[in-house]
Amino acid sequence: MVRSPLFPECELPSGYDRAAILERLGRVLDPELDEPLLQLGFIRSLEIHDGHVFVTLQLPTSWCAVNFAYMMAEDIRHALLGVEGIGAVSVQLGDHCAAAEIEAAVSAGKPFADAFAGEGGDGLAALRGVFLRKGFLSRQERLLRELREAGCSAAVICSLRIGEVTPEAETFVIRQTGAPQVKGGSAETLRRYLERRAEFGHDLGPNARLIVDPGGKPMPVERLEAYYRDARTVRVSLEANGAFCRAVLAKRRATAGGADVQS
Amino acid sequence: MYSHDGHDIFVIDGHMHFWDANPENWKTRHGESWIKCFHAFHSGLSPADEVWAFDKFCRYGEEVLVNDLFRSGYVDMAILNSTYLYEFYKNGFNTHLQNSVIKAKHPDRFLLCGSFDPRDEEAGFDAFRRMMAEYPISGLKLYTAEWRGGSRGWRLNDPWASKYLALAQESGVKNIHVHKGPTVYPLSADAFDVRDVDYAATDFPDLNFIVEHVGLPRLDDFCWIATQESNVYAGLSVAMAFVHLRPKYFGEIIANLLFWLGPDKLLFGSDYAIWSPKWLIDKFMAFELPEDIKQEYHVDLTLDTKRKILGENAARLYGIDIPAQSAKLRSDAIAAKRAG
Repeated sequence: MVRSPLFPECELPSGYDRAAILERLGRVLDPELDEPLLQLGFIRSLEIHDGHVFVTLQLPTSWCAVNFAYMMAEDIRHALLGVEGIGAVSVQLGDHCAAAEIEAAVSAGKPFADAFAGEGGDGLAALRGVFLRKGFLSRQERLLRELREAGCSAAVICSLRIGEVTPEAETFVIRQTGAPQVKGGSAETLRRYLERRAEFGHDLGPNARLIVDPGGKPMPVERLEAYYRDARTVRVSLEANGAFCRAVLAKRRATAGGADVQS
Repeated sequence: MYSHDGHDIFVIDGHMHFWDANPENWKTRHGESWIKCFHAFHSGLSPADEVWAFDKFCRYGEEVLVNDLFRSGYVDMAILNSTYLYEFYKNGFNTHLQNSVIKAKHPDRFLLCGSFDPRDEEAGFDAFRRMMAEYPISGLKLYTAEWRGGSRGWRLNDPWASKYLALAQESGVKNIHVHKGPTVYPLSADAFDVRDVDYAATDFPDLNFIVEHVGLPRLDDFCWIATQESNVYAGLSVAMAFVHLRPKYFGEIIANLLFWLGPDKLLFGSDYAIWSPKWLIDKFMAFELPEDIKQEYHVDLTLDTKRKILGENAARLYGIDIPAQSAKLRSDAIAAKRAG
């Protein structure tokens, strides 16, 4: 089973690339909260038998939305199938209200729309798109907040190029020609923002603008304030929702007792 | 009545329930898992000494409710948000039929919500008219994610929903509470997507739409709609519960609502018995927006604003004259027993 600070209890049989498993699993997000499942504590266990991985996904309640539960299970499967030596992935959802249907569909690689056709199911691509965009705005709001706190004016924020912002240890530093060097904010905030921009296929070359809209267009200075206010509300919505889910899950774990995977 | 520095604050609990989730009433396993999910919300976000055992939570009964709301909980009036869930509970979860019993005993204390289901189409019109004629219905509670046969929900902009809203308006209903909250069971898109409210609010400018749970986890989408539509209001249940465990987010949620909607459109709700008004109101009254949030959003949660949220805004929507209603309540059975 896997052992890591995020995932302390699992040990794997020899012959599997533990780092690759953790790295890939660590990238699977709750699409609605835009947070890694491992950090949310939603991954309860992981075992491998003869190349077949069994992952237990425990959500805060048995009524967590079926479409999002399906997406998480599907993403876990895709992430782990790419690891050498892993030939099959089963995601188990415990007492979730649609556990059996989701487990069967995901294991068979059956799309949500087919699995839940009788339930008004439809493709999930549009829904994924909406939440990737919300995640983008939320990540960007944190970066914008840090840039403002670092004393950057709207004009500076909109003029920054990716190459002028460099991670250094836990922070990032801003170096613009003809201006004094400025300590920016958290390197993790910058990394998460650029990660989502890479997923969107934005130009991330050193001369590309740092702050763009979700479509990759540069931000006009006069638009920044209103844009920031909107992004702020998106960030609060996502974070508050995440706090709600964590509180409910924590209580569920405490009530159920026993050893748990801690985030 | 909540008393602050000698001044009374009239409290309307805009969202509460008198449910029957006794095991005998469970129709399928979903009846059990539904109430367990509510109990998880209850125990996950309540202060430790306010957490109920599961048995009590399934069916707390009339006396406990009256006490928790009106005697210890500061509430003057409460809006019974009827919820049906006939697919999960044999007699329904807390239908207007069940709720009307407690309303009849304390007529000045409760405002009763009825409902409609557009999937009844034309066949349901007579039943809706009968409900309006036979029960003292003040508002409607719509639950767009309710299961029905093979259907897993409906939307406010469905053609039949518009016909029912028109019928409701003819019947004299002004206030429509719409449950848009933590996702439960979805259509493929998103059963708690709030955007359908936008269409209905535009088509029915004389109706008020109170979006319960402020659309959480869709707070952002809710704010955009409420900013555009003058007849969209924020029901604060669920959001209120953050005041205890996550006051930082409570402050940020309230600041956003004040920023986008202003102080006149926010309505207190406990979602009783998921959370209880006594501790919610104690903590809400003690809560102040942190200085950095005030400065960033240019809003404040003043005593006046708290008074609006706790009762004045709902009183305005429901046409309640607070001094006259307070006088009436001072001599009802609940007040008499409280004084005794």
